[in-house]
Amino acid sequence: MGNICIIGPRASGKTTYLAGLSYFAEAKGSGRNYTITPVNEDSKELTINAENTILQGLSVEPTRLGDGIQTVDDLPYYSFVIEANRGLFRPKTSIQLNVRDYPGEVFEQIINANEEDSIHEEFIDECLMPDVDGGLLLFTEWESSSDRFYSQLMARFLEMLDERGRLDNYRLAVAMSKCERGEIWPGRLDPEIDLFGVYLKKTLNILKRGLPPKNLRFFAMSTFGVLGKYNPRPNRVNAFGSDGRASILRDPPCWNPYNLLEPLYWLNGS
Amino acid sequence: MSVIYLGDRETGKTSLALELANPNGQYVKVLSPDYEGLKALLYDDDEGRTRPTEAAQSTHDRSLDIEVVVPTRRKTIYTEWIDTPGEIWRPNWQKNNANQWNKFLTVAQSCQGVLLVVPPYREIVSQGADINPDDFVTQQQWIRRFDRWVDFFQNDCSQIKHIALCLNKADLLQGVDLKREAQKLAYHPQNSRMNWMQRNDYIFKRFFRPVRRQIAQLNQRTSGLSVKCFITSIYNRELLELPWIYLGTFLKGNS
Repeated sequence: MGNICIIGPRASGKTTYLAGLSYFAEAKGSGRNYTITPVNEDSKELTINAENTILQGLSVEPTRLGDGIQTVDDLPYYSFVIEANRGLFRPKTSIQLNVRDYPGEVFEQIINANEEDSIHEEFIDECLMPDVDGGLLLFTEWESSSDRFYSQLMARFLEMLDERGRLDNYRLAVAMSKCERGEIWPGRLDPEIDLFGVYLKKTLNILKRGLPPKNLRFFAMSTFGVLGKYNPRPNRVNAFGSDGRASILRDPPCWNPYNLLEPLYWLNGS
Repeated sequence: MSVIYLGDRETGKTSLALELANPNGQYVKVLSPDYEGLKALLYDDDEGRTRPTEAAQSTHDRSLDIEVVVPTRRKTIYTEWIDTPGEIWRPNWQKNNANQWNKFLTVAQSCQGVLLVVPPYREIVSQGADINPDDFVTQQQWIRRFDRWVDFFQNDCSQIKHIALCLNKADLLQGVDLKREAQKLAYHPQNSRMNWMQRNDYIFKRFFRPVRRQIAQLNQRTSGLSVKCFITSIYNRELLELPWIYLGTFLKGNS
């Protein structure tokens, strides 16, 4: 597979997702049927940092514009090869995952991007290039007030797909991230109906109207997961004193992410 | 890649840096300059204490090569260690030395991490024969001082990402047995009793509750800034190293 973009608003968990994904295959006793090999410097760094931060009770730093980051080229670029063994009678899957870690603000500002903000333009150009197969879009807010913002964002995103002639050949995996949260954990099994259909109706409708059904699918994901099979409390706490956007792994030995690979499989065409 | 020490007068910024260079380090080692050289520069033998940092200059840049052991590797950090004289926090000084103040702001704004050193307040200092309570600010003054730190970080220095908030002179605190605290909080690359979140919760709840609101304000995640609480003392190596190991996790190293 070619390239996948991972996009989403601020604090939707993009960097944490990548860190978790890259580290987790190595975790002791994870029982995961996949291997993930970092193939460039940034991705090696990310994997190592996951161990020094997430497992030590720190949160992964948000990617932000500013100091060192002026153009798309300054952003971290991760490249992994994922080899997945999906069961006895299914072929082994090999996924080449190339993603650039965009700060959420770039995505949020596509609504009112102007000509001077070249990074938005570059961002969209890169995400929608012909050799990009699709995108994994992470949403994190589910309160109905965010539905309006997300739906506007999606309307603009669809326009941009259209302008670049990608409306019919761009796969979009839309995921509710951090689904370990008690309020949405029960909706994880059928996220289209039970999460998006309940909390983000407008956004759901806009997407379904705009994209062919075969190119659109909804997922629920959680990088931190819950404490156990019979213990659905989130394996996550909010960083102390913050407004709840920085998340920390509560119990490292119980770390068991939920559904990290499924969207990638689907984007990969299987 | 810089780390800056900030704090009011007499909070122990210089002593902390000097003691960090002491060669008996465990997970943090100062590779250069060496302890003796640094001591000759900063310590006054006649007075038996570190020299106050000269306020004729707003910042004193000294480079410090530090090796920090984080769980997965040994990281060498070349840091401009910037010491600031406590006087510069007085509005009067800032007014009279506008150039120096601006110079300081420029330096502070380019830093990756901050060690904010605060003194203990009168109410939590132990009652000893050789301790004069008048040497310490009251809790109310201490809280008020914090409001000004919040202003500073929000208005003048909003790029900073990591603040290690150090309650220094922990050896003077009521009910604190340095050795026991250090055992509880100490860092070991693979099997620490506490992780960063637990350490922070523990220290925060015991010592920093009065400034709960101020810390929450700084931690507003929209700005990307994160504050972690520590206690430090030059008399305990484990406690002394903790804030540096924490910052070392995030600072880019030449590994």
